[in-house]
Amino acid sequence: MKHTFTLVFITSCFLISCIFHRDKPKVIDSIEFDESVDNIDFELCQEKLYQYFNDSKGLSFKGDKPALKKAFFGQYVNKNMIGESGLIRIRFIVNCLGQSDRFRLIGMNSDYEKKIFNSKISDQLLKITKNLNGWGIMKIDGKPVDYYQYLIFVIQDGNLINILP
Amino acid sequence: MKEIFLCIVLTFIFSKSYSQGNCQWFLSKKDTLKYRACILITKNQHRYYQFDTRYHKLMNKATEICPYYAYPYRELAASYVKSGNFLKWKELIDKAVKYEPETYLSVRASLRYKFFADYKGTIKDIDSLKRITSQDIGYTSNGTYHLNIVKGLCLKALGKTDEAIQIIEKQSKIDKDFSMFNYLHLGVLYMQKKQHNKALLSFEEQVKINNVADNQYYIGLCYKNLNNTKKAVHHFREALKLYQSGLKMFDGYNELFDQIYLMDINREIELIEEIK
Repeated sequence: MKHTFTLVFITSCFLISCIFHRDKPKVIDSIEFDESVDNIDFELCQEKLYQYFNDSKGLSFKGDKPALKKAFFGQYVNKNMIGESGLIRIRFIVNCLGQSDRFRLIGMNSDYEKKIFNSKISDQLLKITKNLNGWGIMKIDGKPVDYYQYLIFVIQDGNLINILP
Repeated sequence: MKEIFLCIVLTFIFSKSYSQGNCQWFLSKKDTLKYRACILITKNQHRYYQFDTRYHKLMNKATEICPYYAYPYRELAASYVKSGNFLKWKELIDKAVKYEPETYLSVRASLRYKFFADYKGTIKDIDSLKRITSQDIGYTSNGTYHLNIVKGLCLKALGKTDEAIQIIEKQSKIDKDFSMFNYLHLGVLYMQKKQHNKALLSFEEQVKINNVADNQYYIGLCYKNLNNTKKAVHHFREALKLYQSGLKMFDGYNELFDQIYLMDINREIELIEEIK
């Protein structure tokens, strides 16, 4: 009798977990943990992640966009590399404590084709982005949440021209 | 109040104009593939958030049923533009434009300057749209600007100030134009040309339409340049008041052209205080 109960209990748990797993909504462009590049100590508050615009307050950074621009234009060393032009997007997660991690980078040329920029450009941008301190804490229904943020860098011949969004 | 009402009406109009419409229309045209894809979307679209993979699965299914149906490509592209994924976005929005250029050229133009600072591409799309439509080219997909104003702003970003002034001046004179910040942008362009009195007239027009902190800030800058410190301070303080009450240029996704921040206003006030 005891064994039957245990078996029924385990089977039920398995089925419930299957249903839960099946119904768990997945989102496009999600950033899963990658132990080879991500910080293992970076914690998320909940399973659901929001996008930076979900609280309708726009980009949230201490000192607003001018402070963000100052950080990049103050630290990025222009490289003057002919042909190194296009956009670089660095996307990452800001958790409920305002900490950031899971940085992912993509690049394109002026024809929207995939481009891998010279590492002297992309490594600099990645380093500055990782060291940024001042991301706003997003609150949904009064509770701090985790969210995806991205920065797009406009590069012209290795020089930093603009930062979006 | 009038502006709020207008915003609600415009949001309604734009949300409707880019939805997939009435599926029966496709059936009346004997396009059963598009009809089937449309029905599939209509029945299920409301169930998922735009970023949800199930939403994407649904739209992909619709494109499998009808590969030349533009709407699902646009829907697939929408979440990628919001996540800044220019590669995926462009691949998908290009398909929407390919199958329905008259509808989606304006959408692509609206997004490529706003999300990816692609000013040349935006101008190219607007000009293409002008060539294929006999009607007014219309407004951006969120309704903030007429596409002629967008073209003017892109020309400005490319350093073509005179051409920008010309096109924004012309569009702003059209009575029915309801773009939000025409006269503010025009005023800033005049300021770049050091035509401060002309800029002030333009900012005064903007006050009548939408008196935002940014506009008052630029009025303050004009007076500062005209060496009228008293009036400059007055307008910077007015800008501060409006900014703190939330009456400022704002977009939930991106920074707008000529948008200013609290630190800009405070810097000007502090500078003047120092001189005193």
